[in-house]
Amino acid sequence: MTRPTQRWLLIAVLLAISLALVYAGQERVHADGPASDPLIIGALYDRQKQPVVGAQVSVFDVPNGEPLAQATTQPDGHYFLSLSDPIPNHLMLDFKRAHFEPTQIELDAATLQKLQAGETVNLPDTTLPRRIGIAFWIATLVFVIVLVLIALGKLHNTMAALVGLAVLMAVSYLGPLLSEELFIFDFRRALGYIDWNVIFLIMGMMIVIAVVERTGIFQWLAFMAYRISGGRTWLLMIILMVITGVASALLDNVTTMLLMTPITVQIALSLGINPLALLMPEVMASNVVGISTLIGTPTNILIGSYGRISFNDFLANLTPGVLMALVGLILYSEFVYKRELKTGSAQGISPLLVEKLAERARITQPDHLKKAGWVGAGMGLLFIFGEHVRLLPAVTALMGATALLVWIKPDIEEMIEAVDWTTLVFFMALFVCVGAIQEVGLISFIADGVAKIVGTNLALSMLIVIWLSALLSTVIANIPFTAAMLPVIGYLTATIPGADSKVLFYCLSVGSAMGGNGSLIGASANMVTSGIAERAGYPITYMYFLKKGFPALLITVGLATVWLFIHFL
Amino acid sequence: MSGIVCAIRGGPDSQPTIKQAIALAKDNNLPLYLLYVVNVDFLSHTTHTRIRTLSKELREMGEFILLTAQTTAEAQGVTAHGVVREGNVGDEIIGLCHELGADYVVLGRPQTRHEENIFTHDLLQEFSQRIEQETGAKVVFTRESSS
Repeated sequence: MTRPTQRWLLIAVLLAISLALVYAGQERVHADGPASDPLIIGALYDRQKQPVVGAQVSVFDVPNGEPLAQATTQPDGHYFLSLSDPIPNHLMLDFKRAHFEPTQIELDAATLQKLQAGETVNLPDTTLPRRIGIAFWIATLVFVIVLVLIALGKLHNTMAALVGLAVLMAVSYLGPLLSEELFIFDFRRALGYIDWNVIFLIMGMMIVIAVVERTGIFQWLAFMAYRISGGRTWLLMIILMVITGVASALLDNVTTMLLMTPITVQIALSLGINPLALLMPEVMASNVVGISTLIGTPTNILIGSYGRISFNDFLANLTPGVLMALVGLILYSEFVYKRELKTGSAQGISPLLVEKLAERARITQPDHLKKAGWVGAGMGLLFIFGEHVRLLPAVTALMGATALLVWIKPDIEEMIEAVDWTTLVFFMALFVCVGAIQEVGLISFIADGVAKIVGTNLALSMLIVIWLSALLSTVIANIPFTAAMLPVIGYLTATIPGADSKVLFYCLSVGSAMGGNGSLIGASANMVTSGIAERAGYPITYMYFLKKGFPALLITVGLATVWLFIHFL
Repeated sequence: MSGIVCAIRGGPDSQPTIKQAIALAKDNNLPLYLLYVVNVDFLSHTTHTRIRTLSKELREMGEFILLTAQTTAEAQGVTAHGVVREGNVGDEIIGLCHELGADYVVLGRPQTRHEENIFTHDLLQEFSQRIEQETGAKVVFTRESSS
């Protein structure tokens, strides 16, 4: 295929996906025709009031006899059993579903009378108790191993998640040959756990970012910061932190740090200061400010999609807290790096190096930048106002990406390369791994445990969610952690009085992202910054990051907690 | 052609190596070739699609780091050139020595042990022997070890 053909093919695919997502976003109402036979209607839920999907419901007149009718529970947990005359004087319902205890209920006389009169009866909701079998332990073990492999960096994240997915599928399909107890879920059910809104939002944003990153805007902004600061290193630090933070909120943290780190190193060297005195505050600002928008971090994309939290919701409910945290972080950074920044001011600036810096800091593709600016502004408007027409963020991102491809006509192969397919596959495989622990009931047990601790105390649950996720994010990858926590937060949101404001989702967002400042492995942006800094001869060791980053975690998470308490309680 | 090859990264660990290379160049009246090797392997666990972008950024950062060292050398009357290459640091040092017919290679002993490369303590001696055998250049280690 020629390049123009490939470009149009990609554009057509993106448009088709956008339209499909728009269609999927609309609520559809199915009109069921009137039933002539008596009907039994009911719903199955687990202990967290989540619908039990795919359970087999049978109605018997005698135990272990032939079922009179059978049905499978729908995605909302409902079942419909159509009975034909004559209705016997004794009926019992039997519920069967993998990972739940088989349950039977007997219909009372009044219900039977109604059915015999040809009426439809609505039964009270039934709660199915969970069953811990061998599949529970296998799914749990697989998830823990995936987390450990990611944390240790022994396998690429995507590889680790794919290994998890493959093991789960192998156990589900081959295990039942040995014992039915080994079944976890089938492939169709596993795919149902993948959140396609997340996948397509990330994909669309990757294309937009790929266009923006080639324009030289980051280098230009950093150099402007250098010029504006006029050799005042304390001011330079503040401006760089703000630039990095804003860029992280609009793009993504890894790209921002990948482009900001090399130019920052050069600015620091030309000023004669230790580059870490600028890089550490920058990467910490990136982790803090990134969460102020829906698209700023992968964890926010996950949270927004699961919790149905819009772009505006994030801006209104998190941004003020993020700004408070940023101010705290700036003061902390100025204090911690006071000595290094003073050294720089005293040593002066090398004119030769400044000349080289200026040479580098130019917009390399002004036309692309201008077009990306217009498209970005359009996307911003759609993110903000699109919710009124139920426009999903994924659709906005795909439309923006398509518009850029059509308008700029970049090298299509470069654009396809710029989409990080391994990350997308990582998310898909991760969703399945998290789906498995949801399927077998681990998430329900965690939710039960948390609910027992916090009771109906919203303030306590906020504290636990923020600080637990912040501390855990310093040692385990925050994306799988967030993905696993979402159903737990969903349950707490539904059960704790006052939590319907979705405050606990914001707490998770704050904890999982700002927690990344607590250690070198806490965020991908930290690792990228450290890798580049080491290549400039300024390694960021684990202990160095811990010493500088952990107090920053305490300050920023503390300030964000204060904001969430003021705003929501 | 002849000269002295000195691979650097920048930062405090490289300063003794640069200092020694400049002194050697002055003593022997030879030009100094400062080498920076771009390596983006560390991205393999995070975002491999950014390798092209990062390579370009690191190349420019390398040029800048070399410029700082070149400025120091030239201030002491030594002719210094900056060379940026991409790939395996050991292979690039040997490749440059071949190209230049280098007389000396100055090797430092970096403090960091984050990566398994030829500058780790166990492999450094072996690497210096390889340079001498393959290129005929004499290897000089940094006197003032920072490790």
